[in-house]
Amino acid sequence: MNKELEHKFVTELQDNQNIVHKVCTLYTNDRDSHNDLFQEITIQLWKAYPKFRGEAKFSTWMYRVALNTAITLYRKSKKRIDTQDYESVIFKIKANEYDDTEEQQLKLMYKAVRQLGDVDKALVFLYLEDKNYTEISETLGITEVNARVKMNRIKTKLRTILNP
Amino acid sequence: MTDELELLKRDWQKKEAELPTLSYAEIHKMIWKKSSSIVKWILIISILEFTLPQLLLFAPPMEEAMQIYDYIGVSNYLFALSLIIYAVALYFIVQFYRRYTEISVLDNSKNLMKKILRTRKTVKHYVLFSLSMILVTIIIMLVGVYLNEDIAHIVPELKGKLENISSDKLKITLMLTIGVVGILLTAVMACIYFLLYGLLLRKLNKNYAELKQLEF
Repeated sequence: MNKELEHKFVTELQDNQNIVHKVCTLYTNDRDSHNDLFQEITIQLWKAYPKFRGEAKFSTWMYRVALNTAITLYRKSKKRIDTQDYESVIFKIKANEYDDTEEQQLKLMYKAVRQLGDVDKALVFLYLEDKNYTEISETLGITEVNARVKMNRIKTKLRTILNP
Repeated sequence: MTDELELLKRDWQKKEAELPTLSYAEIHKMIWKKSSSIVKWILIISILEFTLPQLLLFAPPMEEAMQIYDYIGVSNYLFALSLIIYAVALYFIVQFYRRYTEISVLDNSKNLMKKILRTRKTVKHYVLFSLSMILVTIIIMLVGVYLNEDIAHIVPELKGKLENISSDKLKITLMLTIGVVGILLTAVMACIYFLLYGLLLRKLNKNYAELKQLEF
């Protein structure tokens, strides 16, 4: 691996690091695990980088590697404490931006999303990232129809949590 | 509901600006760190599983055991058996290597999980094979002891003390010992193996089941 490739990779990753951070936020519960997963995703991205030929956008390519690492390759570190007090910025609701009902709804929804299974989370994540069903199904390896059905089920699940 | 999910989407995308940012140097440092992915663990454990039993054969207590095989008169059978074992092990190693190299993080999630589980399955079959070979070895030894006329000859150190015990009694005791120790050994190895992989692959199995469930 030459220096040029290394530099190109780190620059591209640095520009797109928010994708990795978002995945880490969804799949971990504390700062240490977040950093741990970020590092593993970085390693996997770097290992796969020579195969990245640029036929897709770097960010599109990142989604797949990041999710695969989070769902499949990553082993949760042993010292995993489910600290309730640790709340990543992404799950914090700014009170002044929304009215009370919206604020309550968002809080409940974020909580519900965190409770979903790993695969469900991946679907919701891609949905929130504005990916279409073709992309979602290709990333996860399921058919487009199944992706839609699954997403509808998750919506129903979230609805029940919001309106018990 | 769509509205609520749209609300969540809007909020989610707004949060972008508040995410942590790592510097160039911080990311650069990370790319040379060691991976701790489960694929790597499977590779390490598998290599151990392929080599440990072989290394055990060269341990000093094993050499003494070989002598006992000679005394019982089964060393020829065991030699033939070990040739078969090596041939099959070689087949498994090649198979394992081929499947291992097929694993790619660039695959879609389902294929990636499928390939990892398939690679592991190769090791699983190898371990089952190894465990059954231990049992076959034990059976060969039991038959050897059973057919042997001069049992006291097998353990020469004890010859003096054993003279007043009947040959049949000695034979049964020896066969029972070999049988019990052999089965215990197999059971312990099986336990360690299944526990190890069970823990390692718990998450993967769960997520694969979740994905598979989507097919109807």
